[in-house]
Amino acid sequence: MPIKLPPGISAATFAEAVKEFQGAVGADWVFTSEEDLDTYRDAYSISWGHDDEYLASAAVAPDTVEQVQAVVRIANKYKIPVYAISTGKNLTYGGSAPTYSGSVVVDLKRMKRVLKVDDKRNFALVEPGCSYYDLYQHIKDRGLKVWIDCPDPGWGSPIGNALDHGIGYTASPYRDHWGAHCGMEVVLPNGEIMRTGMGASPTSDTWQDYKYAVGPHVDGLFAQGNFGIVTKMGFWLFPQPESWMTGTVHVPKYSDYSALVDHCNYLEDAHLATGQTGYGSNLGGQGVTAAPEYRALMANGWPTIEQLDAYAAQRKVPAWRAKLQFYGPEKAVRASWAYAQRRISAAIPGATFTDIEFSTLPLSPAQEKTHHLVNFGIPNMAIFQIVARPAAGPNNANPYDGHTDFFAVVSRSGSEVFRAMKAVYDIQKELKIDPITATPFSSPVTWHHKVFFMGAGGVGNQRGDAEHNRRMRALYAAYIEKMAAAGFPAYRTNPGAQDLLVKQFSFNDHALLRFQEALKDAVDPNGIISPGRYGIWPKHLRQKKA
Amino acid sequence: MKTFIAILGATTVLGVVGSAFAADAGQLAMGKERFDYWCDTCHAGDPREAGRFLPGTASLNAKYNGSRPGALVDRTDLLPPYVELVIRKGMEGMPFFRKTEISDTEMKAIAAYLSRNTKQ
Repeated sequence: MPIKLPPGISAATFAEAVKEFQGAVGADWVFTSEEDLDTYRDAYSISWGHDDEYLASAAVAPDTVEQVQAVVRIANKYKIPVYAISTGKNLTYGGSAPTYSGSVVVDLKRMKRVLKVDDKRNFALVEPGCSYYDLYQHIKDRGLKVWIDCPDPGWGSPIGNALDHGIGYTASPYRDHWGAHCGMEVVLPNGEIMRTGMGASPTSDTWQDYKYAVGPHVDGLFAQGNFGIVTKMGFWLFPQPESWMTGTVHVPKYSDYSALVDHCNYLEDAHLATGQTGYGSNLGGQGVTAAPEYRALMANGWPTIEQLDAYAAQRKVPAWRAKLQFYGPEKAVRASWAYAQRRISAAIPGATFTDIEFSTLPLSPAQEKTHHLVNFGIPNMAIFQIVARPAAGPNNANPYDGHTDFFAVVSRSGSEVFRAMKAVYDIQKELKIDPITATPFSSPVTWHHKVFFMGAGGVGNQRGDAEHNRRMRALYAAYIEKMAAAGFPAYRTNPGAQDLLVKQFSFNDHALLRFQEALKDAVDPNGIISPGRYGIWPKHLRQKKA
Repeated sequence: MKTFIAILGATTVLGVVGSAFAADAGQLAMGKERFDYWCDTCHAGDPREAGRFLPGTASLNAKYNGSRPGALVDRTDLLPPYVELVIRKGMEGMPFFRKTEISDTEMKAIAAYLSRNTKQ
């Protein structure tokens, strides 16, 4: 791809700026060749090879906070947009590419220090280039008694993931990575360093314990935002539990789902079953849409609840299941599971309970080969199975080069899940997607402890097939608009769709975005920090777009 | 690029003649250490979660269907330039790696490690 200059910057001016960047971080850590900049493309971009693919003009890799300050000051001097990445592995949500073509990527991978882990007050303080693997290994090497909470890909950054509202797999509330952060250090657009929360107090020792300090809590501006470059961040950690237990609840009727969800909500919110609840339907699963009885069920459109109850009864299997997970001392987890069975048995006739497993922790090496590791705070890359070449099928010869996820925010209620699954079905039908993957047996994911996320089918992409990617972009845009119209906006998206997603949050003529824009103009008058991230554009670019 | 990589990959088979590639012990040690840090998590030779092979190994098992090992450490036909190309250009679902992640020196060490059993 041709190397782009920052918009409005001459080659001569850019050359001067690059020289200054080299002076700030060392010539070896400023990248301008086409070969190097190719590694700052988004490997999973559905705009790959399109005219509007997001491309960097250069990349600068500071090693210290002082170097980050210097880079920001140079960017301000020349009015050059910069875009910070942590480990650059936010694949499906932008990877290591900027949100505004021609930006200089500030690659923070070299800043990978674990600054502190405390297993008495249970927190960590890290730099942005530190990966989940790095933090996990640091804890393991020292025998510290705390768990991290990691998302599926272990090579991501705790800071980068939290700043994009990423989520994980252990106990609530650690699964909400942004929610579990405590205190941050930020290089502001003018190059100044700011510490938030108790970090603003020169004397307090509670930076990673108490989030709020006094006055407005501003941390949220830096998540999915563009008000500065985060250089340190604290996270609350899960004290290593003594044991883990799981058990599965089955309920007979399709219409039992709402009650099942209500009880699981209770068990999680009351801190009895704090692990991720795994919902599924015994009526769904692989191959269900090809079954003759399923085709008959769907022949006249989306079925009623009564029809679905009858369908479950005919099939003679419990309609829904929920796998509960418990962490804690053995007596406590066994008592919690016993209570869950009593509670649900009394409320849902015909409920049954199976698949009970108990284990002390940590897992043995043999167990690590068989268990879903992220439920135990162990980073890994197993999720990349979804883009691995399958052993058979049409994608065997030409596997996808990546994927783009769509996940809608849905309240934790059975009726809302029913509405959301029908909304996905309606979109797929309207767009003539074949086969339709949304069924009345689709289940939400429970990464976040207070809401469900409903997927709308992975959007596979091909780096070598621009036309395929064009179709995927259209599908993805349809999901964003139509799911939001149905009441289910996405929680996160790739740079190409961020404007469209933000547009869906339109209460009172987009008052929230207008407030963010007012702040942006005040804090970053030259509009140099990550222009366009989650729809927040600086004034001069808003005027161009209008 | 995919075609180019496929062609270069095929040439690795033709290159299996002669003696092993020259690499000193220090470079091989660095290569193993960096491979274990960056690559093993997808390309390990033993199954992990639920007895499945990890994505890189699973993908290569599906690709080669028994004609070559799925695990990279067991390969005897890899040439350093091919390994370096895949690291910097990616391959299918595997993204490329920046120099801030794997430096040129580390990349060459990984390439030397993975081609240690390849005969020239």
